[in-house]
Amino acid sequence: MSVGPYNYSYIFKYIIIGDMGVGKSCLLHQFTEKKFMSDCPHTIGVEFGTRIIEVSGQKIKLQIWDTAGQERFRAVTRSYYRGAAGALMVYDITRRSTYNHLSSWLTDTRNLTNPSTVIFLIGNKCDLNAARDVTYEEAKQFADENGLMFVEASAKSGENVEEAFLETAKKIYQSIQDGRLDLNAAESGVQHKPSQPGGRNTLVNDQTASKDSCSC
Amino acid sequence: MDEVLDEVVPTEDLKKYEKVYHEQLSSGNITQKAQFEYAWCLVRSKYSGDIRKGLILLEELFHTDKEESKRDYLYYLAIGNARIKEYNKALQYVRGFLQIEPGNHQVHDLEVVIKRRMEKEGLVGVALTGGIVLGIAGVVGLALALAKKK
Ligand SMILES: Nc1nc2c(ncn2[C@@H]2O[C@H](COP(=O)(O)OP(=O)(O)OP(=O)(O)O)[C@@H](O)[C@H]2O)c(=O)[nH]1
Ligand SMILES: [Mg+2]
Repeated sequence: MSVGPYNYSYIFKYIIIGDMGVGKSCLLHQFTEKKFMSDCPHTIGVEFGTRIIEVSGQKIKLQIWDTAGQERFRAVTRSYYRGAAGALMVYDITRRSTYNHLSSWLTDTRNLTNPSTVIFLIGNKCDLNAARDVTYEEAKQFADENGLMFVEASAKSGENVEEAFLETAKKIYQSIQDGRLDLNAAESGVQHKPSQPGGRNTLVNDQTASKDSCSC
Repeated sequence: MDEVLDEVVPTEDLKKYEKVYHEQLSSGNITQKAQFEYAWCLVRSKYSGDIRKGLILLEELFHTDKEESKRDYLYYLAIGNARIKEYNKALQYVRGFLQIEPGNHQVHDLEVVIKRRMEKEGLVGVALTGGIVLGIAGVVGLALALAKKK
């Protein structure tokens, strides 16, 4: 906890969505803590995680909202979609129903975010290949038809987890460079924070909000 | 992690769920869903009056709704209290929750954030005494009763 102050030039807001039990919280935890939680309770409402990454030499702070998949949270978690620069949409390759629900998650995402929001589809639990219920090819086709980025990943082994979070950030960063994403738009999901000279960043009071010690 | 205590509900969402709740209130039939959705928005308001209203609704739900939903209410009772700086109460709800689900990382994280805030605001000593005395009689008792029923 003694490390800060952090220097980063951008903040990107992400959301993670998908049916309950597909592994959203485990993916987040694997990304922020590099650990797998084998016995993870259902998220209540939303969880939050953060990590600083680097894209093209720029430090970017990811602020990630991991939403609960249980139905009773569905309505209110929609508040968190607003202003997301990236959306990770997750299904479980061993449970077909979670794949079948993707179009409904996608509709919500499209309706509640903006056209520049990067949507990344993740087929999680690819370590359980023997129990596979959704083929790679059909999911890839679904992703292509809908203009989504796509990987199969495993929060357990860590395979492709980094990639999904980082590729999303690269794509967002590209949109900024191309001018497709307007930094001044209220709900772009991106904030630009020019680094302070001397490293002391007194304007940003979230120095403590970064790497949280997690007790699990 | 401080974000879970700092983020604010969009006004239009609060209005939307408020409307549903009040419509049901006047027709005399409030569903637990509507009450929870409204309460969840209220405890994320920037006004402490709203948060207190949300806490009342959550307490009511905690006492009347089915067992499996009680963890949700305990969690948001902790969030709401922490937001109005009722840290001792917030920690009681956290401890009550952890009696039922000792390994819950989401609630452990919340506990860490609350304690850090108390430290920052110079309230740590107060927390230790107040928390223990009230904790045993209050929420923890409730939570234990709850756990036994399972
Ligand atoms: N084998 C395997 N199990 C996984 C993987 N990811 C998650 N799990 C397990 O799946 C269960 C559910 O994972 P969670 O991360 O809690 O799922 P979630 O999507 O956050 O669920 P909600 O919070 O209810 O929406 C847990 O018991 C995990 O251990 C994975 O990649 N491989
Ligand atoms: Mg979860």
